[in-house]
Amino acid sequence: MALDTAHSTEALLSVRGLTVTLESEGKTRAILEDISFDLKPREILSVIGESGSGKTVLARALVSWLSAPLRVTSGEVLFSGSDLIADKAYAKSLAGREIAYVGGNPAGALDPTMTVGAQLVEKLRAVRPDISAADAKEKAIRLLGAVKIPSAERRYHEYPFQYSGGMMQRVMIVDALISDPALLIADNITQPLDVTVAAQILKLMRELNADFSTAILFICSSLPVACDAGDEVMVLHAGRVVERQSSANLVAKPEHTYTRQLIEELPTLWADDRKGRDTPPNRDQQAIMSVRGVAKYYATRGKTGKALVQAVRNVEFDVFPGDNFGIVGESGCGKSSLLRLLTGLERPDAGSIFFEGENVGEASSKRLRALRRHFQLVLQDPYGSLPPQSAIGSILEEPLKIHGIGDRKERRERARAAMSEVGLNEALYDSLPTGLSAGQRQRLNVARAMILEPRLLIMDETLSALDQTEQGKLLDLFERLQAQHGFTYIFISHDLTMVRRVCSRIAVMYLGETVEVAPNERLFFDPGHPYSRALLSAAPTLEERRYRPEDCLLEGEPPSPIDLPPGCAFASRCPHVFERCHKENPALTSRGNHALAACFLDSNTGAKDSIHD
Amino acid sequence: MFIASFLARRLFQGALIVLLVSAIIFTLLRVVPGDPVRLMAGGMAPEALIEQIAEDMGLRDPIYQQFGRYVGGMLQGDLGQSFVRPANGASVGGASFDDNTRSERAEVWDLIANTAPMTLQLALLAMVFALIIAVPIGVWGGLRPGEFPDRFALYLSSVFVSLPNFWLGIVLALVLSVKLKLLPAIGYDGFAYTILPALVLAVEIAPFIIRTLTVSVAGVMGQNFIDIAAVRGLTRNQIIFHHALKNSAVPLLNLLGVQFSMLLGGVLVIEFIFDYPGLGLLTINAVMQRDFPLIQGIAIVTAAAFVLINIVVDLCATAIDPRLEY
Repeated sequence: MALDTAHSTEALLSVRGLTVTLESEGKTRAILEDISFDLKPREILSVIGESGSGKTVLARALVSWLSAPLRVTSGEVLFSGSDLIADKAYAKSLAGREIAYVGGNPAGALDPTMTVGAQLVEKLRAVRPDISAADAKEKAIRLLGAVKIPSAERRYHEYPFQYSGGMMQRVMIVDALISDPALLIADNITQPLDVTVAAQILKLMRELNADFSTAILFICSSLPVACDAGDEVMVLHAGRVVERQSSANLVAKPEHTYTRQLIEELPTLWADDRKGRDTPPNRDQQAIMSVRGVAKYYATRGKTGKALVQAVRNVEFDVFPGDNFGIVGESGCGKSSLLRLLTGLERPDAGSIFFEGENVGEASSKRLRALRRHFQLVLQDPYGSLPPQSAIGSILEEPLKIHGIGDRKERRERARAAMSEVGLNEALYDSLPTGLSAGQRQRLNVARAMILEPRLLIMDETLSALDQTEQGKLLDLFERLQAQHGFTYIFISHDLTMVRRVCSRIAVMYLGETVEVAPNERLFFDPGHPYSRALLSAAPTLEERRYRPEDCLLEGEPPSPIDLPPGCAFASRCPHVFERCHKENPALTSRGNHALAACFLDSNTGAKDSIHD
Repeated sequence: MFIASFLARRLFQGALIVLLVSAIIFTLLRVVPGDPVRLMAGGMAPEALIEQIAEDMGLRDPIYQQFGRYVGGMLQGDLGQSFVRPANGASVGGASFDDNTRSERAEVWDLIANTAPMTLQLALLAMVFALIIAVPIGVWGGLRPGEFPDRFALYLSSVFVSLPNFWLGIVLALVLSVKLKLLPAIGYDGFAYTILPALVLAVEIAPFIIRTLTVSVAGVMGQNFIDIAAVRGLTRNQIIFHHALKNSAVPLLNLLGVQFSMLLGGVLVIEFIFDYPGLGLLTINAVMQRDFPLIQGIAIVTAAAFVLINIVVDLCATAIDPRLEY
C-alpha cells in the first residue's frame, strides 16, 4: 500500500504482509490476509471492522498471543526494525514491557485473590526487575491517580472485585502503561463499558497518549468511537485492510465501498427527523401497563455487615396499547430488576404494577401464570436463554403445554406457523438450537414469546448481542408482527440509537429511578434531565453533537446503590448541581405534552436548550 | 474486627451443633437394646444389685434428666466415667460382680486425651503423605488437560481408589514389615509405628486430592487473567505459582478439611488392623462393650473437632480469596 511505505524507516511498528490462518478439520482458512501498515511513535491509529473481520486476531498477533489453531503463515511484524514473528524470545522480552495490551474484558483480567496494587507491582517488576518494590508501589499509586481513580492510595490495597467495570478498565490501562511502553494495543477497550464511562475512558486515553508519548493501536467495532479516538482510521474487512485515512477524511470521503456502506448504515440520533415513531398513543384508553412508585430492595451481607441495595426506586410510567415503550439506562441502573418486577418474577417492595388494570405485584401465583399469557418476555442472551437439549419444535410448544392449549397436532401447527412468521425455516423443527446463529436464536426467542399470542412483549436487551445488520432485520420483523398482531412492546436497552429508531415513548433510568419519561422527539431534542443530556452527549455517533460531553458530564462514577447520597442521585456528576440537589430528591414533574422529568432546574435548562432548535 | 465477629458467630454456631449432636447420640444410645449395667456388673450379678447400681448411677431417671446432668458435667469438662474401663489401665471389666477395680473407673476425658493425640499424629502424617503424592500429580495433570499427565492422574486415582484399605494394609504390612523388615506394623512403640498406617490412609485419600486439583487447576488455567498474564509480561513460573495455584487452593482446602475431619473421627479399620492405639480403636472397643459414656465422649469430641476444623478452613479460604464470605 502506497501510504504505508512512505516513512517506514521511522515507524515504531511496521507490519508487512501479515497472514494468519485458522486450521480446522484439515481445512485452512485465512483470517488475516496480507496486512501491511505502519505506526509511528506517538501516533494513535484506530482499527475498525465488524465482528469476524479479524481485528482481535490482529491484536493478538501483534502481542504474540496466537494459539492453535491460529497460526501466522507469512509476513513480518517489525518492532523498531526487528521481526517479532521470527524472534519469539525477542517478542517475549517485549511483552508487557515495550508492547502493552489492554483487552475488552477488564472484569476477569486480574487475579481475584490479590490486591490490585500488588498485581501492578508484580507486573512492573516482572518486566523491569531493576525497579525496587517501593518505587514500583509509588509509581502504581501515582498512575492510579493519573487515570483519575479517586483516593488511589486506598484503592491500591483493594481487590479487583471491589472495582466497577469502568474503574477496572482504568486499572488495566495503568497496568499497561506502568512499564512506559512504546506501543499500546487497545483491543475493544470501551466495548463492555457504558457510554458515559466509555466516553471518559476515551478522553483519558488521549490525555495519556499526550503525557506518556505512547503509540496506540486502538481496535474497535464502532466507527464513531474509532473516529473519535484515532488520528487515523484503518478499516479492516474480511481479513484485509481496505482503507486507511485520517478520521475526518474517512467520514467525508470514504474510498472503499465497504466503508461507504458502513457509514450509510450507521444509525443516527438527530440527522433526519422522519424517524422516531412519534405516533401519540390514544390516551383515552386504559394503559396496558401502568407502573406506580415501584421500588425493590435487595439485602446483601458484606464484611461490613448487612446492606440494602436499592435496585429500583420511584419508577413511574404508563404504557399504552400500540406503544413502543423504551427504557434506557446504563448498567446497574435497575433495568433488569425492574424487568423482574414487570413480569411478576419478583414482587415490588413498594408501589404497584398494573397490567390491564390488574395488580401484577399482588396477584396470586396461579393468577400470575394466567396473566403471563398476555405479557411475555424475550431475553438478552441468545445462548443462555434456550435449553440446548430440546428440539426447536418442543421449545416452541412448551409454553402451549404449560398453559394447556391445543392438542399435540394443533401445537405442532402453531409452532410451525410461528417459525415461518419469524423467518425460521420449518425444516429446523426437529433440530437442536445448537447450530443456530445469534440472530436465529433471537428469532426463536421471539417466536417462543409470541406463540401464546400475548398483548405485551417485554424485550430485555434483545438486540444487543446482534450486529447492526441483524438488528435491522429483527426490528423490521418486530414492526411487521406489531402490524399483524397489534403487539405492544417494552424495549429495555442501553442503546440510544436503537431506542431512537424504534420507540415512541422513552423512560430514562438512573440508579433505580425514572428521571425522565418523554416522547421520542422530545427526549432527543429537548431532554429535561441533565442525565439524559449526558447520555446523549456520550452516545457514539458521527453526527455533529447537540450536546458535548465536556458540558454535560463531570468526572466520576455513579454512586453505589448501597450507599445513596441524600437528594438527587445524579448530583455528584451533574454540572448544574446546586444546593437544593444535595438535600431533596426531585420527583417526576410534567413539562407539558406528556413529557416528565425529575429535575429542579428543568424549566431553566429546558428553555436554554430550546434556543438551539 | 471481621475476624472477631466471624469467630464469635462461628463458635456460637459450633457450640449449638455440638449440643445437638450430643443430644442425638445420648438419646440413641439409650433406646438401643442391651443393658450396660448387666455388662458392668457381670452376668452372674443378682437382679437386685443391678437395679441398685442402675439407681445409683441415675440410669433409671428420665432421659432428659440424665442428659441435663450430662451437659452440666460437660460444661465443667467432665465427660463422665467409663462404665467398663478401670482407671488403672488394667484389662476390661471382668465377669465377676465383686471385681474390686470397678469402683475406680476411668475418666472418659482421660481416655480420649490419651488416644486423641495418637490419632492426630496419624491423621497429620497421612495428610502429609497424601499431599506429597497428590499435589505434583494433580497440578501436573491440571496444567495439561487432556494430555498424558491428565490421563496419568486419572488412571492413578482410579487404581488408588479401587484398592480396599484393609487389603492394602495387610499387603503393606506383609511386604514392608514381615519380608523387608523396614517398618514396624502392629501396636505402638514410637513414631515409626505411625508410618505404615499413615501410608495406607494416604493412598486412600490421595485420589480425591488429585481429582480436585486437576479439575480446579485446569479451570483456573482457562481463566482470562491467567491467559492475559503472559501478555502482561509475567513469567510462566509467576503465573503458575503465584496465581494459578493460589486460585486453585480453595476447593482443595475445603476437601482437606473434610478429609482431615474424617481421619480424626477415627479411622476404625486401619487402627484396628494395625492395632494402633488411637480414637478409632477406642471407639471400636467402646461400642463392643456398650460403654455409653465413652461413646458419647468420643462423639462429642469428634463433633467439636469437625466444627473447629471447618472454622479454620473457612478462615484460611477467606484469607486466600477475599471474595468469599462465610
